[in-house]
Amino acid sequence: MKKDELLEIIMSCNRCGVCQEVCPTYIVSGVETNVARGRNRLIRLGLEEQQFNLDNEPELEKIVNECLLCKACEVNCPSGVPTPEIISNIRAHYTTTKGLPWAKKIMYRGIFSDNRKISLIRNLARIYQKSGINKLVKLAGLFNKTDEMLPDLPKENVRAKLPVLLKNFERPKHKVAYFLGCSVNNFFSSIGIATIKVLQENDCQVIVPDVNCCGAPHQSAGDQDEFIRLAKNNIKKLNELDVEAIIVDCSTCGSIIKEYEKLFANDKEYQDIIAKITAKIQDISSYLLSIDFKREMGQINQKVTYHDPCHGIRFLKVKDAPREILKSIPGINLIEMKEADMCCGGAGSYGIFNPKLSRDILARKMENYKESEAGILATSCPACTMQLSFGLKLHKLNGQIKHPVELLAEAYELKKI
Amino acid sequence: MLNQRLTNQLAQIVGKDNILTSKISLASYAYDASPYQGRPGVVVFPISTEMVVEVVKFANKHNLPIMPRGAGSCLSGGAIAPEGSIVISFSRMNRIIDINPENRIAVVEPGITNKQVQLAAEPYGLMFAPDPASQNISTIGGNIAENAGGIRGVKYGSTKDHILGLEVVLPSGEIIVTGDINSPLEPEIDLTYFFCGSEGTLGIVTKAWLALTPINPKVKTMTAIFNSLENAGSCVAEIIAKGVVPTTMEIMDNTVIKAVEDYLKLGFPRDAAALLLIEVDGFPSDVETQVVSILNAFTNNKALSYKIAGNEKEREDLWKARRSVNGALGKLKPANIVHDIVVPRDRLAIMLEKVAQMAKKYGIIIGQVAHAGDGNLHPTLYYDHRIPEEVEKVEEACDEIIKETIVQGGTISGEHGIGIEKLKYMPLAFTKQSLEYMQKVKDAFDPENICNPGKLLPQIAED
Ligand SMILES: Cc1cc2nc3c(=O)[nH]c(=O)nc-3n(C[C@H](O)[C@H](O)[C@H](O)COP(=O)(O)OP(=O)(O)OC[C@H]3O[C@@H](n4cnc5c(N)ncnc54)[C@H](O)[C@@H]3O)c2cc1C
Ligand code: SF4
Ligand code: SF4
Repeated sequence: MKKDELLEIIMSCNRCGVCQEVCPTYIVSGVETNVARGRNRLIRLGLEEQQFNLDNEPELEKIVNECLLCKACEVNCPSGVPTPEIISNIRAHYTTTKGLPWAKKIMYRGIFSDNRKISLIRNLARIYQKSGINKLVKLAGLFNKTDEMLPDLPKENVRAKLPVLLKNFERPKHKVAYFLGCSVNNFFSSIGIATIKVLQENDCQVIVPDVNCCGAPHQSAGDQDEFIRLAKNNIKKLNELDVEAIIVDCSTCGSIIKEYEKLFANDKEYQDIIAKITAKIQDISSYLLSIDFKREMGQINQKVTYHDPCHGIRFLKVKDAPREILKSIPGINLIEMKEADMCCGGAGSYGIFNPKLSRDILARKMENYKESEAGILATSCPACTMQLSFGLKLHKLNGQIKHPVELLAEAYELKKI
Repeated sequence: MLNQRLTNQLAQIVGKDNILTSKISLASYAYDASPYQGRPGVVVFPISTEMVVEVVKFANKHNLPIMPRGAGSCLSGGAIAPEGSIVISFSRMNRIIDINPENRIAVVEPGITNKQVQLAAEPYGLMFAPDPASQNISTIGGNIAENAGGIRGVKYGSTKDHILGLEVVLPSGEIIVTGDINSPLEPEIDLTYFFCGSEGTLGIVTKAWLALTPINPKVKTMTAIFNSLENAGSCVAEIIAKGVVPTTMEIMDNTVIKAVEDYLKLGFPRDAAALLLIEVDGFPSDVETQVVSILNAFTNNKALSYKIAGNEKEREDLWKARRSVNGALGKLKPANIVHDIVVPRDRLAIMLEKVAQMAKKYGIIIGQVAHAGDGNLHPTLYYDHRIPEEVEKVEEACDEIIKETIVQGGTISGEHGIGIEKLKYMPLAFTKQSLEYMQKVKDAFDPENICNPGKLLPQIAED
């Protein structure tokens, strides 16, 4: 976006301060640099170049990077100021002018951009976890808990298991594609497996196209070129499919695909294709409700509470569907925890680059979870799953983090026994 | 002047995690919700009264200005940091110390938000009656300092009517406790009142004893539409004359109705001259009689139509119009100025009329919403701050609005405070003697003028 356009948008912020109530970074720090109003103001001053310049202020850059892009400010703002979009634009500007910081470059371009590399790294990381090297590294204080944020890695990723997982139906009731995102594929394969099984249990022929990363990490880091490249690839793959819906079990993937539209604002041809694709994107819970999913299942006697991923509640605007799924499972007692829709501080790799704020936000989430007295904390996004599991470890809490679809798969399984 | 050495000393007092000194972070404490800009020298985040005392003593010793700050939602520039000042932010002194439902008292630190107090009181069937529209973020310290009011103000009054006592750190560094929390009826010079509405110029509130009010069991909400402001105005007068005290009595003019209707399509006639939103509360039988009186007043004053909410959803729908005023009008122009004038109730209709005429005369958009029950009007002028002619017209219109207010026997601020914005109007609203006595009060508490200088009280010319 051009500077003038950006300034015009920032000026729609009339500094009412209403965002203080919902901005997680402000809630935990109480500092005005960490709220949408402050961020907008400082960016504006930086763009206007009167008091300081956007490009020569490391502190400003840090502040821009400390936004979670959680959108809580935007949906509550009386003037509808799109702060996350403003922040993304500035990050893109930083990346274009300065390049990605080396750590992010290795992590995003080097790893997330390439399916094979993610798997490779995953395998290395697994060796690292199993061999005990991590203890040594931790001792050296090098990673400073970063490794604890990684989940316990499964032996094989989902893609490798597809040949055994996917069933062929003679006359399926539905035909759907499943967008298997990289986090689920590599780190949380049990979610991916559950999604496939539950869909098949409901008479869906499932196709798993060979897509690449949705581009969320790149977008968040402001790596626009790479984001566009990944998006184009995915659009091509998704456009070829003859299916009634494209299912996501990762709220982030779903939201990012829906944002592809903005990338090609001036390209009519792409716009039309994307519109067709986005119309088909459905999160697994909403889709199951729409096809009147099977209600015969076994019992799971558990208190469960649900954490709304930012990308679920505010981007995909999915609130009730996952709760409906949970409530449909016999034995589950669904309780609302406080601030269920407040960001968990995971925000992709946010925790690695902004440890203090991320931990403080996580601590608050864990406090609310504890207060709910639930045994299972359900959520629909692997990035949240990673952060919340880390939270349980860090705060020495009992409990499990589960995707609603995992619980549903379990309940179906129980019925069979 | 603050320098590195002094800043280091301050950091020792509050701890290095409770202080901001960098250029960038200070820039985010240069504003509040008004259009003004300040120049803070440093921001500190005390976590106890003792810390506040140390900071104030330090400021005193080095003759540095101080400014307490809550959420920074002030609309009149009260929280604009004076040049080189120590900003004392209360975002980390935000605990509820105690809630006592039997005595209906909440004891809180000043940085707690109004909403958090409401949430804590609700389980006991109690509320903190002042409910400014900014309640989700504005702090009790800020509410006290601005004597904030809200939509319930017609019936329940403003913040000062619900403060039992205060702990205040004076500019000298001394701590005083005002009021008598055991009996609000004790005859005495209650210093509490000096601090309510003092805009942070007399001292720093570090603890407050709040009176909580029982929530009434039943509410009834209704709207009525009129084809003249005059009819709406006399309807308001009749309702009050009958002894009905609604919790809410909001009036909206045609500019607002049109904007809201275009924005939300709620089914209001776009050419209606006025809309009244009224809510009453009480015990069920009480509410029913009030509703009958109000409906009679509607008919007597030629209301074109009216609606009564039958359930919570319908109530929300009626409120929707009121709540979306800023959103709807804000879309039309990038900047706005909201006034906060008060006129006697029987002048309400004429004042609304006059302001509407000014909008025509200057060719600008002025949306008018008023708390009709207490004559508090919020004409809001919408403009583009980048077009000099528009800015000029708006400034002229502002002056004219204030002058008309005084002519109608009114005053310049109901609840948003004087701050910087209305300093120049103070001599219009108060006599020289009154202003001099206000200054004497200020001098008694703050002889060195270090506490939020440059706000509220104009420099009186010597003659
Ligand atoms: C969208 C919006 C709606 C609003 N609606 C209303 C409304 O309906 N009614 C209404 O009355 N106001 C309203 N306001 C104005 C504003 O919210 C109130 O004046 C509020 O009380 C200010 O509280 P704050 O915490 O933001 O204080 P700040 O803006 O931070 O400070 C305001 C003043 O209080 C002083 N102060 C703050 N804390 C202390 C303390 N501990 N001790 C001494 N002085 C202190 C400051 O120095 C400053 O002079 C609204 C504002 C906005 C932006
Ligand atoms: S709520 Fe919106 S308009 Fe208000 S300060 Fe925050 S970003 Fe600005
Ligand atoms: S996106 Fe989230 S973290 Fe960023 S400013 Fe808005 S509310 Fe705060």
